[in-house]
Amino acid sequence: MPQGDYIDEHRKKYGRRFDYEEKERKKEARSVRVVASKAHSLTGIKAKLYNKQRFKEKAIMKKKINMHQQRNKKNKDADASADKDVKKGAVPGYLLDREEVTRSKVLSNTVKQKRKEKAGKWDVPLPKVRAVAEDEMFKVMKSGKRKNKEWKRVVTKATFVGDNFTRKPPKYERFIRPMGLRVKKANVTHPELQTTFCLDILGVKKNPQGQTYTQLGVITKGTVIEVNVSDLGLVTNSGKVVWSKYAQVMNNVENDGCVNARLLV
Amino acid sequence: MVVYNFKKIQTVPTSTEFVDVVLSRTQRKTPTVVHKGYAITRIRAFYMRKVKYTQSTFHEKLTQILDDFPRLEELHPFYADLINVLYDRDHYKLALGQLAKARSLVDGIAKDYLKLLKYGDSLYRCKQLKRAALGRMCTLMKRHTSSLQYLEQVRQHMGRLPSIDPATRTLLVAGFPNVGKSSFMNKVTRADVDVQPYAFTTKSLFVGHMDYKYLRWQVIDTPGILDHSLEERNTIEMQSITALAHLRAAVLFFIDPSEQCGYALHQQIELLRGMAPLFQNKPLIVVLNKTDLQWEEELSDEHRQALAALGPSVDQAVSSGNVESIDVDALLEMSQSKPDDQPAHVVMKMSSLSEQGIAQVRSVACDLLLRQRVDAKLRGKRMSGALNRLHVAQPAARDARRRPPVIPSSVQRKLDDLDKAAMATAAGTSDDEQENGDPDVTMDEDTPIRGEAKNPSLGRKLERDRMWELGGPGVFASDWRREYRDLQRAEWAYDIIPEIVDGHNIADFVDPDIEQKLLDLEREEEARVAAEEEVMEEEDEDGPVLTAEQLERVRAIREKRAVLRQESWMEKTKNRPSVPASRLGKRTRVEEHLEAHLNEMGMHEEDAQDVAEGIADKMPLRKAAKRRRLVEVEETETQMIERKEALDAAARKAGFANANQKAFAKKVAARKQAKIHARTRQHGDGDRHIPNLRPRHLFSGKRGMGKTQRR
Repeated sequence: MPQGDYIDEHRKKYGRRFDYEEKERKKEARSVRVVASKAHSLTGIKAKLYNKQRFKEKAIMKKKINMHQQRNKKNKDADASADKDVKKGAVPGYLLDREEVTRSKVLSNTVKQKRKEKAGKWDVPLPKVRAVAEDEMFKVMKSGKRKNKEWKRVVTKATFVGDNFTRKPPKYERFIRPMGLRVKKANVTHPELQTTFCLDILGVKKNPQGQTYTQLGVITKGTVIEVNVSDLGLVTNSGKVVWSKYAQVMNNVENDGCVNARLLV
Repeated sequence: MVVYNFKKIQTVPTSTEFVDVVLSRTQRKTPTVVHKGYAITRIRAFYMRKVKYTQSTFHEKLTQILDDFPRLEELHPFYADLINVLYDRDHYKLALGQLAKARSLVDGIAKDYLKLLKYGDSLYRCKQLKRAALGRMCTLMKRHTSSLQYLEQVRQHMGRLPSIDPATRTLLVAGFPNVGKSSFMNKVTRADVDVQPYAFTTKSLFVGHMDYKYLRWQVIDTPGILDHSLEERNTIEMQSITALAHLRAAVLFFIDPSEQCGYALHQQIELLRGMAPLFQNKPLIVVLNKTDLQWEEELSDEHRQALAALGPSVDQAVSSGNVESIDVDALLEMSQSKPDDQPAHVVMKMSSLSEQGIAQVRSVACDLLLRQRVDAKLRGKRMSGALNRLHVAQPAARDARRRPPVIPSSVQRKLDDLDKAAMATAAGTSDDEQENGDPDVTMDEDTPIRGEAKNPSLGRKLERDRMWELGGPGVFASDWRREYRDLQRAEWAYDIIPEIVDGHNIADFVDPDIEQKLLDLEREEEARVAAEEEVMEEEDEDGPVLTAEQLERVRAIREKRAVLRQESWMEKTKNRPSVPASRLGKRTRVEEHLEAHLNEMGMHEEDAQDVAEGIADKMPLRKAAKRRRLVEVEETETQMIERKEALDAAARKAGFANANQKAFAKKVAARKQAKIHARTRQHGDGDRHIPNLRPRHLFSGKRGMGKTQRR
């Protein structure tokens, strides 16, 4: 007990006050009321947060109670539980010499495999996307001395612009990709490894909204991008190092401020 | 005096608390209402403000934590090492470093999202970006849960560290476990350290304070140290080592030759040798403790030799009890003349149980340390710089003649007398008093505060002198009887005054003409009473005089009132359950009474009944009579038609087709009005009553939600 622990020291010397246990018990017993009154009297965001937390606690409690009840039930009727313990795939004696099941499984697997290969090329995690109208994608920029020309467009979505991109003379530049909305990195999830890496974007392979957007390098939800996976050390079947892979963007980049993509393997 | 105040560190919240605090603060301190229709710049500004505010709150809170916790580089090495021992310096630095990194990351996130928000083109997009920004900041903080937890624990522990001043005069008590370190500490200070008969009772550093030579000394009790290498030492022992290594203190190394502590003597001496590097440049006193166990007689030869090798004990030199006469130089010389394998030290014997030698050990340690500190100070540059600038100027002697001060012979005589008187009184008082006399008193000898027979300067005794004679302020009570000067004989002043003599309280007879005064008072009272009566009589004559008839009426009223009171009392006091009159179908008491009363007054019997019922039903009197009339008087057919036509005509005038329509309209209006009244809780159209002009819920408390008008 260090010197500064005067509370402990006092307790050691003189003990607790005589009604300490009783007080604690009462406090404990009263706590539900306190909680209830708090839940009742809170308003606004505080009430929202508090009720959410209470809801969680209650759900956990209910789960626990259910688990206990189930356990008790099991103990009661052990015979019933014995039925459930039957192993998966167990067959009665008169069916034992049939190999149908395994064969059918193999068959169905091969069919599935074939189907997969057939579909393989375009089987992406996000097959459908919402169509984005042009006026949502572009903002009209007025130009000219009197600001009366309206042929320039500003991209309102995130874009990828390669390192070696040079602007055209501003006078002739039709599409403007703002610096603030340019992205260079993507958080790419490997679906099998279930890990996420922050990888460099190499290019935009395909924007589902159209060819124009692909050329402009616009990244929206569902866009397939090419990412640099050389750091991951992936190897092809023939033993070559994989430099880049495709990944599909899974989020609305312009709303989240980051690119979350899933690797296509 | 607190040098390092670790108590000031503010609480470190857990990560969830941290996030809650920051987010709810953003919610409270930034505007909360925004609409789609607002100008986009306004919407952007609204959300940018939220992001920026959250970031600055995070930044502020993290900076607070980082500033509060001390940097090990800036601390005294003693504290830096102690923190290393107790909390692991790497862990400590890592936790703080992580928070610093988190702070800069939060700043970065905010910067990125503010940039993105500038391109936000709709409320939805701005809101999503804000949400993402805040979410990322919070996730970041969640990752530092363990760091925050660790820092909170460190804070709690640091707040309770003893406040040791590493620069002040310090005695450091060290030695094996259970050799009596804490007992010594308890004897010399008021620290109240726990003393138990088992090893490692003291698990951390304890600090106490004492006074010696009018100076404040700090005594530090350390946990016991075992004799093994530095790597094997545990946290408890390392605290002692830290204190020994970094504090410039006098070290009292305790040895228990009786071996009752459970460790052999040679082990203890070995430890003393092993720790020699830590004792360098520090006064070291080896204390042979527990002399009350008589180990001196029972020592084996081997042990005797081992102790002799340490050097002779200096107890004899200072055992005379005169603390002032310790010869520090001799002690220093003694401590230096040790063999090379031993650190310079002084050996002393002591027993904390029988309190033998405690004072000597303490004073020797303090003197040695003080000498060392003074020497170090004198050697230092700062002191020599100051001394160089000091110069005491004295006038050069003109010639060889002596020029003593000239004192007139009369004054000299008086001074001599005074001296003699002082000598006489001093001889009277005991020697103890003279020694322990208050230094303040002895300093100003020529002031008349001392207890002499007479004040020499004034030639008479003052009340103040008496006070000093009779126990000083607080004890002395002034003698008032000496001031009784009006007595015929002076010696009566000190006579005993009884309270009761011959059954009479003498206080009653203090006033000689009390009889006369009493008589005067009575006479005055009589005169006043007479005057008052005269006034009353006059008023009576002027007041109204009642006739016999009036008096009779007054009497009747009073009688009636008494009867009523009696009746109501009877009614009230019946102590049994009763069925209410309405249930019984009986007429109420009010009705009965009223009817009887109206009959008595000469009203027609039926009329009286109606009135009584009307009042009982809370119906206006007129209406009741009208009802009766309607029932009684049968209208003829023509009369009815006439009446209807008249009513229709009145309705037409008001813009209705007929009376029925008017009645219907009235009904509809009333129904509508009733609805409004029900909603506004009015009794009717004319009800403009506001029940509470300042309703509490609108005028009290903080205005969290809503506004003054409605909440």
